[in-house]
Amino acid sequence: MINRHIEKKQGISKLLDSLCLSPAGAIGLVFLLVAPILPFPPLNKPYFHRLLILAGIMGIGSMAFDFSSGYINIVNFGFAAFMGIGSYTSAILERRYGIPVPVTMVCGTVVAALLGVITGILSLRLRGIFAVFLTWFIGLALFGLIINLDWLTQGRQGLPVNTLFKPGTPDLVYYYVLMVIALLTWYLLKRIVRSPLGLAFQAIGQNLEAAKTSGINPALYRIINFTISCAIAGLVGAYYAHYVGIIVPDVLSTQKTVEILVLVYIGGRGSLWGGFALAFPFIYLTEMLRSTLDSLPGVNLLIYGVILIAVMIYYPGGLAQFYKYIADKVKPFLLENRLFTRDRHVPR
Amino acid sequence: MVLLEVKNLCAGYGFLQVLWNVNLAIEKGEFVSLIGPNGAGKSTLLKTISGLIEPKSGKVIFEGEAIEGIECNLVNRKGISYISEELNLFVNMTNRENLEMGAYVVRETRKVEESLEYIYTLFPRLKEREKQTAGTMSGGERKMLAIARAMMSRPKILLVDEPSLGLAPKIADQVFHALTLLNKEGTTILLVEQNVTKTLRITKRGYVLEKGKLVLEAESDELQNNEHVRKAYLGC
Amino acid sequence: MPGRTNTPQIDGCIQIIKETMMQKIIRWFLSPGGITITIFIICLILVTIHKGPYIFINTLITGGMWALMAVGVSLIFGVMNIANFAHGEFFMIGSLVAYFLMQPMMKYLQYHPNSFLIYIGPFLIVISGAVTGALLGVLVERVVFKQLRLRNRYNWLLNCFLVTIGLSIFLQNSHQLLFSANYKGITSYWSGTVKILDVIISIDRTVAFLMALVTMTALFLFMKYSKPGKAIRAVSQDEAGAKMVGVSVDNIQMLTFALSCGLAALAGASLLFMFPSYPTVGVVPLFNSYFIVILVGFGNVAGAIPGGFIIAFFNVLTRTYLGEGWELVLPVLLICLVLIVKPSGLFGAKVKTMLEI
Repeated sequence: MINRHIEKKQGISKLLDSLCLSPAGAIGLVFLLVAPILPFPPLNKPYFHRLLILAGIMGIGSMAFDFSSGYINIVNFGFAAFMGIGSYTSAILERRYGIPVPVTMVCGTVVAALLGVITGILSLRLRGIFAVFLTWFIGLALFGLIINLDWLTQGRQGLPVNTLFKPGTPDLVYYYVLMVIALLTWYLLKRIVRSPLGLAFQAIGQNLEAAKTSGINPALYRIINFTISCAIAGLVGAYYAHYVGIIVPDVLSTQKTVEILVLVYIGGRGSLWGGFALAFPFIYLTEMLRSTLDSLPGVNLLIYGVILIAVMIYYPGGLAQFYKYIADKVKPFLLENRLFTRDRHVPR
Repeated sequence: MVLLEVKNLCAGYGFLQVLWNVNLAIEKGEFVSLIGPNGAGKSTLLKTISGLIEPKSGKVIFEGEAIEGIECNLVNRKGISYISEELNLFVNMTNRENLEMGAYVVRETRKVEESLEYIYTLFPRLKEREKQTAGTMSGGERKMLAIARAMMSRPKILLVDEPSLGLAPKIADQVFHALTLLNKEGTTILLVEQNVTKTLRITKRGYVLEKGKLVLEAESDELQNNEHVRKAYLGC
Repeated sequence: MPGRTNTPQIDGCIQIIKETMMQKIIRWFLSPGGITITIFIICLILVTIHKGPYIFINTLITGGMWALMAVGVSLIFGVMNIANFAHGEFFMIGSLVAYFLMQPMMKYLQYHPNSFLIYIGPFLIVISGAVTGALLGVLVERVVFKQLRLRNRYNWLLNCFLVTIGLSIFLQNSHQLLFSANYKGITSYWSGTVKILDVIISIDRTVAFLMALVTMTALFLFMKYSKPGKAIRAVSQDEAGAKMVGVSVDNIQMLTFALSCGLAALAGASLLFMFPSYPTVGVVPLFNSYFIVILVGFGNVAGAIPGGFIIAFFNVLTRTYLGEGWELVLPVLLICLVLIVKPSGLFGAKVKTMLEI
């Protein structure tokens, strides 16, 4: 018998809820924060910290990507290009004009957001798949531009930049700063999604006509959503640039967008957290496969390709659906033992 | 000899059930009508018989063989031709190509030629406009083309869905005349119509479907004199 | 019979008929499609005068093959409502098969230099490549798309696109895994050149172009006169109607997909001398196919053919006047422009509306 009596949220529950974290999410977050400082190898090795950072960057990118694809149903197939524009803007401003890095990072975010507005406006008239094509081609054009304007970007040679913190700062610092950004991003996106704005996004994504008759102006909301998504892309791209210290045009390639896309769709579109959670095992497995199976390059990607196909056909909800399935099994047990209060919000 | 039988058929779209235990029987050579108000489920019934929709339960028996749930193209091969309300013509193909597609299931070219000849005698206008694109024809001509196309495979039974819809009375008459002729030549026809007066005049027997349930079944002249039918459909 | 003259009425009729023909022709020339083709031909002539005939040649060679691939993309979009992101990978498969068939053949020819295989061999190889692509297409359609059709029709177009992304990853990395990422190429199928009107062209290129022409013609005849061809057209125009006349839509979709993949593989195999085989060789053909289809209008199979030449020309132009790297920027911007200004394409899309109202 499920205990249907709703308890007032107290203490930890209330805190978690205001942060939009489920208990499982909180546990995951704590694990992510604590893991790198635990005294177990390989967890505390710098090499592992680097992987964590890369995973975090892809994870935040996934959240931003899912914000568009999972809600207004626009797959931004040029997503990596917006990240790259953030990287390059920040890098060029810092390199050429000596502007301090945090400022250039903000500039990178703004430029990416502006491009997002433009792309959003341009794609307004287009039905689903054609908006995807447009974003894809804009991403390609940006990629080509970065390569060709080598007097500005040093093209394929790569553009070295100063790092965010002075050289010698341990990766852990970057990691924790990134986690703060991740948490803020999550909070922002989740709050928007739970607000009337988020409902409007979903309405537009599912049935544009019906949304219009409800008095929503789809154009405006699409642009807002897309801009936020691209802004976050720019921010995280800039962060990446100033962590790695050098950026190459491949950061904008379609290939990179595909990597994030795979994360989002296997993780569960619309969940926002699916791609983020998946980024960590993804990066770790990629590294492991790369180092152990040196003679079999690309095996990891091959596996991801197959998993993506299988998920899209047989289990479209992805990891998030699986989590919900497990959670639904476990919750009654926890409720009975009053270890858990009934959710106010029905998970998507 | 019973050609087509429907037993306790329940069908619908997704969670919406439209037909409730419908029973029907049509003998070879008959010209039967199915009338009823909008949304009664007449089109759904035809679509289920022809295989476009899978029934939830019940049986459809054609020439003694159970065909419920079989795909539309296979049902067509058994000798059932369905002419939908929307006609589903190939609008970018010529009339002749549409007719040739109608005989898709016929293997021998000679037989296709023969069918074409026969159809052209019944519908001379189509022969005149052989090379015209189907999409550019007028409403009545399109209906004729749809019927002709359905006849190309020499079906044993025609399921016709509201052929007079949207047509001027004179043109509708031509369509009905064509159907009567086809029936005289031996094709069994189940005609779904909203134009009840004319339908009851040309058909032998009729069913009345309301809200997914069969409410009446009788000879056409009986139906014409039936009080309920007169009030609801004949405006008397 | 002495001086037969027409009556004034007949004269008048003929006059009217002639006028309508002229009007029709003029109207077509003023349509976006007509203007594009006119500009294209004018530019082609100007550039040939300016830079010599090799631009023209290169346009023809690659244009023919891109056209074939674009036809494939248009076909599966019109018939199956699928946008195949892995289309370029079938190009790659064609070139891969061709490469691996060339190795033993070249060895054989070393010992038997006078064998007729010198002439026939490459044709057989290209056809084998195409057939392999088609068979693989059948496999993919049965294993992937048929399953998707049975299980999940929600958001079909987008989901299929995503599935084909997975397929693309799978195929690219399979190639890398099994055959390494090295460039596997050949110098030529047939050595030697021909001289046409004072221009020297390699035999390989000439044959590739002729193959493209022959394939296009064969495809046209197939679609117009053969029973399966007509069935394909029927399904693309009205799927329910096709079912109602007894067409097995399932089989037709399989056929269409196989045809599309076969065309892409044919392009890949026949251009092996120009594009060596490596895992990501299909990426550029993929972009170009989509550029063409968007330029011309989705589902417009006939239009894909001139479209192929136009895009090829544009690429060659960009490469000649602006340099190697800009091929990714300028054509893309052109296509973005088309998408924004006239999303239904310059020659008119032949599928259901693409605009949101």
